[in-house]
Amino acid sequence: MSGDRHRGRRQLPFPGPAATAGAVRRRPLSRAGRRRLAGVAMTTPALAMITLFFLVPLVMMLWMSLHNWPLLGEHRFTGLKNYRDALHDTEFRTAVIFTVKYTLITTPVLFVLGLALALLVRRRHRGARFFQFLYFVPVVVGLASAAFLWLFMFQSDIGPAGDLADHLGLGSRTTNLFAGSASAMLVVIGMVTWKVVGLQMLLLLTGLQSIPTDVEEAARIDGASRLQTFRYVILPLLRPTLALVLVFSVAGSLLAFDQFYVMTGGGPSNSTITAVYEIYRTSFIKFQLGYGSALSALLMIVLVAVSAVQLLLLRSSDQ
Amino acid sequence: MRTRRARAAGVLLTSVALFAAACGGSGSDTSGSDSGTITLWARDSQKAFINIVADTWNKDHDTKVKVTVVPQANFVQKFGTAAAGGSGPDVASIDLVYLPYFASTGVLDDITDLANDLPYKDDLSAAHRRLATYNDRTYALPFTAEASVLFYNKDLFRKAGLDPDKPPANYAEIISAAKKIRALGNGTYGYAIAGQCGGCQVFEFTPHIWASGGDVLSADGKKALFDTAEVTDALTFYRTLYTDGTMPAQSRTDTGTNQPAAFLSGKLGMTPLGAFFVQVLKQNDKIDFGVAPLPGKNGGSASFSGGDEIAVTKNAKNKEQAQEFVRWATGEQAQTVLAENSIVPVRTDLIDKIYTPLDPRNKVLADAMKEGRTPYSTVENALFNDSNGPWVRMINRAVFDGDIAQAQEEGQKAAQSIIDDAP
Repeated sequence: MSGDRHRGRRQLPFPGPAATAGAVRRRPLSRAGRRRLAGVAMTTPALAMITLFFLVPLVMMLWMSLHNWPLLGEHRFTGLKNYRDALHDTEFRTAVIFTVKYTLITTPVLFVLGLALALLVRRRHRGARFFQFLYFVPVVVGLASAAFLWLFMFQSDIGPAGDLADHLGLGSRTTNLFAGSASAMLVVIGMVTWKVVGLQMLLLLTGLQSIPTDVEEAARIDGASRLQTFRYVILPLLRPTLALVLVFSVAGSLLAFDQFYVMTGGGPSNSTITAVYEIYRTSFIKFQLGYGSALSALLMIVLVAVSAVQLLLLRSSDQ
Repeated sequence: MRTRRARAAGVLLTSVALFAAACGGSGSDTSGSDSGTITLWARDSQKAFINIVADTWNKDHDTKVKVTVVPQANFVQKFGTAAAGGSGPDVASIDLVYLPYFASTGVLDDITDLANDLPYKDDLSAAHRRLATYNDRTYALPFTAEASVLFYNKDLFRKAGLDPDKPPANYAEIISAAKKIRALGNGTYGYAIAGQCGGCQVFEFTPHIWASGGDVLSADGKKALFDTAEVTDALTFYRTLYTDGTMPAQSRTDTGTNQPAAFLSGKLGMTPLGAFFVQVLKQNDKIDFGVAPLPGKNGGSASFSGGDEIAVTKNAKNKEQAQEFVRWATGEQAQTVLAENSIVPVRTDLIDKIYTPLDPRNKVLADAMKEGRTPYSTVENALFNDSNGPWVRMINRAVFDGDIAQAQEEGQKAAQSIIDDAP
């Protein structure tokens, strides 16, 4: 152990491949030492990337959030003023409430549909494979492209959806769905469901397929009904996957931006502005980068907390 | 355990330092330009003519202009960040509404002397000159003009029994013409707006208020005037067009794309748009259209003065040539190129020579340019052009929800707080 520490200290100033060569010449490394160095060399690029593209911007963001920092011109240190202002910002509060509402509706819809689809296509025959493919295809479409596609489909007067509704006697092609906040949000949720549910299905499917068939059979032999097997055998064994899917889905919904930016433009009358949308407006329309950073920091804290709580809830009861 | 962590940290720090050094070494001279070129940034709505202008200059100058076209929606952010980071262009063609903001932040070069030496300095568009002035110094020269006018479909006017040579000249006449056109049925509408487009609403709606004797900001830009009687009248005018059923449902959520398309489809009687649309309509050649001034409540007329100004940036690498180019851009040669590409020139002394003769309808646009006005504010973007800002929100709520008084009151409050919070 002490030799280990000694060697470690000596190598500290010369890391990387060049140092390795030097060290080899001086004293051959033990097998374990070589492995460790290889490990360091392989993780360094990733760590450097994370530092450069995540940690550095994160620290910069936190630093900026303590300033009055306009896009152009002088910035000035204001301490926690931005955070205090954020707590009294009614526009941001409205945006947060809307985001939470959107998340509360989207998450169960996506989850239930994703699980239903996964159960439908879990059998390993050709037909199931075809439907897996079919449900998954929208996932590979970009979110912005999908949003534009749906924006066109549901456009009044010119969109095919209105035309179809007209023919079926369900509505009029002149109805502007984007003119009402509830109907606008429903169209967006429809688009997101179509776009994202395939990914959730796939994740849940891998979870389902990792459950050994023997446990299910054993439950059936013990006389459990289909529903009981699902409730008491499959769901508990699926818990790690459920946690993953839920964290993904909730985090994605809390960070919603593109779909609303493209499809509703925050309208009608600013009723569909999400938290990230408000951060975008603060930073790049009002040019207040410092205040935008403070809002981002708050959102990040909420996200970390929500994800942690979810993981904790879904893990602890299992042990 | 401690050693392993310390070692990892050491590796990490060293590699980051190496990486940063590598980036710094190669990236130091990517910005700006060498002495032989002038870099020019313009927004994508100018791409039809900006390269023609640059080519005209390049033909008989040794220093070449290199154009970069930036998406209009991101121009302010891109130019702002580039200027802040010292990697901006030598010359920028900027939407005039943003001039007070950029001038106030010190990213533009003071060209007061250059502007005062121009022999035709008093003949340049007055609105452009006002917007380019900050604390009595000049930071840009007028470049292109854009005027807001009323476009109307002469065929639909004829079919509805209206005189195609006598366009409506006040609110009541527009309302009644819109009703008659809507009554033709078959999916025709009277009047369309882009209800969720900040740029459109400041361009197309404010002229009604000015033509009626009102304003939207005080002269010094320090007070919002969203709650005045003239604004109430104009909102009531739009509201009536909507409740009469002469405005399509799309108008509420239109971000500016449907409105010209609807007019091009031939099923829309009237819509307020800019000079750029003349070129679109002429290329299309299907619609027999007329152009009229935007009227006030009881007549009169006004126009928003839009377009671009051209400025030398503070950090320009090639300042002398950049200034020369900016001066040349207001000259007869450059302005004639603009006129030939259906852009309204900014020279009132030249307009009857190089622009008005090209099309009889250009006269209306030329007159609109001469009398055009523009709100002056360093926070114009947040007040008017933001599609979620107080101006658009007030209009949207008043016109489509109907609570005009409350919409005005809240709009006034929101606008005033943006002005008061300005740095």
